Amino acid sequence: MIGVPLLIWTLIPVYHLFLFSISTKDSATSGHLWPVHPTLQNFEFVLWQKHFYLNYFWIQMWNSLFIAVMVGFLTLFISTFAAFAISRLKVRGGRTVLNLALFTYFIPAAFLAVPMYKTMGQYGLLDNQWALILAMITIASPYSIWVLKQASDKLPLELDEAARMDGATPMQLFRLVYLPLMVPSLVAVGTYSLLLAWNEYLYAFLLLSKENSFTVGVALGNFLSADDSPWELLMTTGLIYALPPAAIYYTFKRYMVSGLTAGAVKS
Amino acid sequence: MAEVAFRNIQKSYGKTKIIHGISFDIAEGEFVVLVGPSGCGKSTLLRMIAGLEEITEGEIRIDGRVVNDLDAKDRDIAMVFQSYALYPHMTVRENMGFSLRLRSENVELTDKRVREAAKILNLDSLLDRYPKELSGGQRQRVAMGRAIVRDPKVFLFDEPLSNLDAKLRVAMRAEIKSLHHRLKTTTVYVTHDQIEAMTMADKIVVMHDGVIEQMGTPLELFDEPNNLFVAQFIGSPSMNVVKGQVSSSPSGKLCVRVADAFWPIPENLGVSLGSDVFYGVRPTDMYLSTEDHGITAKVIVVEPTGAETELLLKVGEDQITLVVQGRVNLKPDESVFLNTNTEKIHLFDANTQIRIR
Repeated sequence: MIGVPLLIWTLIPVYHLFLFSISTKDSATSGHLWPVHPTLQNFEFVLWQKHFYLNYFWIQMWNSLFIAVMVGFLTLFISTFAAFAISRLKVRGGRTVLNLALFTYFIPAAFLAVPMYKTMGQYGLLDNQWALILAMITIASPYSIWVLKQASDKLPLELDEAARMDGATPMQLFRLVYLPLMVPSLVAVGTYSLLLAWNEYLYAFLLLSKENSFTVGVALGNFLSADDSPWELLMTTGLIYALPPAAIYYTFKRYMVSGLTAGAVKS
Repeated sequence: MAEVAFRNIQKSYGKTKIIHGISFDIAEGEFVVLVGPSGCGKSTLLRMIAGLEEITEGEIRIDGRVVNDLDAKDRDIAMVFQSYALYPHMTVRENMGFSLRLRSENVELTDKRVREAAKILNLDSLLDRYPKELSGGQRQRVAMGRAIVRDPKVFLFDEPLSNLDAKLRVAMRAEIKSLHHRLKTTTVYVTHDQIEAMTMADKIVVMHDGVIEQMGTPLELFDEPNNLFVAQFIGSPSMNVVKGQVSSSPSGKLCVRVADAFWPIPENLGVSLGSDVFYGVRPTDMYLSTEDHGITAKVIVVEPTGAETELLLKVGEDQITLVVQGRVNLKPDESVFLNTNTEKIHLFDANTQIRIR
């Protein structure tokens, strides 16, 4: 029963977004539950870049995608190896590294933005997409390592021992036994870091300064800089921007299954 | 096939020493069972052979080569885990062929070896299934198959049957034994179940608190236990033990007196009158007599198992288990007269618990 009001509560803003995107500029804020003259004109404006706020829409879309995918991929790469080393190889000092990494979350990301900006400046990476990618990896990695470590602690240790007895090197163990069994967690962590980068505003706003290097998120923010913001276009762009994450979520959802280790050991 | 030698093996975790200098040899092709209560260090010893546990002190040699610093993967040993430890994302075929795949063995040979092993273990029809689709016994067989395929120098078994139900356990016991008979690979088998040890071993090593209490063939341990621990550990139901004093019976014969009961002992044992001893007698080395002759006992429980009957009796303050062939017509609280096969009894020093011969 609680679910029903919650669902409505969650869906109303999305519906509102949708309503905006199919309304004309004049009727956008009219307050109707369904526009008098629904139109797809807004989508045409956005997709064909017919407004000066949207001159770089497709480039910005590509930027968002490139950055998000790189962050997702590199975060996965780093955190999987880290979790494997800490949890399975029991590397000395592994726990300390994990705790130090988690410690960074004690400081709000917003406070780290300025130091991060200075650091990237020193590396000469300002207005370079890699600045944002590196920053997002820094933010996403500790949590990812922690989640993957927890998940891999649950894999039976006997599997590693069996593989070692079968003659596996640590890399073979990682590739042939560990990775296949970690797939659900890897998908979850990958999706998390990808979406984190996709939705990031503050760091993207700080580290990227040219319109053609923006992500869509930053570009959306710029809509608000005018006195007469084109709300219907802003909402339409927002709706389109929300589609890839939804697609990613539903594509990978089926991999996030439990019970992959069923039958491994007698429980 | 290989010999395995242990030279003064010790193991400590921090300051806690759990194995206190163990030395013994395993001959080529021998089936050795390490048995003892939980925490005696038997599994640790096995894991040290495997290379999964570091050796604090001493040497383990396989075929004369010291393997202390050799990684598990380089020891050419296969192990069957208590929990099976099958790779859940691989089929039975892939599980069994995994070690050969790691060695980059060619596909045809791998397939041939897997099929041979599958045939031995009756897994032919299950090769394309995943572990979760198998029953406990089948998983156990796959775990063994994985070991066989490799044709290793030594097989290690870590309590492989303890997760199976009683009936399956007996069947698998026979299967492992016949497998060893067929492959003749040196085998070290760890269990806490003395019946498994008795039925399967060429040689049993009884461990307790990190030391070897005794080793020998199953029947040697059964007939000639070195001390009270081994005497009570080996054999089921376990040996009856009462504490008493060496004295003379009213009829002038040497015996162990426990309160009002006189337990007869052979004349040729090196014991002196008045010394404190443990008197041990196996449940099968006693019999009931109908006349007024022997030790008076009271029946507590009668447990018929068909071919034989197990009786729980009370003698003074002690409870005594007796196994008689066939069936008996007795009820709880009835009085009976208990006699022992004097030649089969064991005496142990009350202080050292070592057997008096």
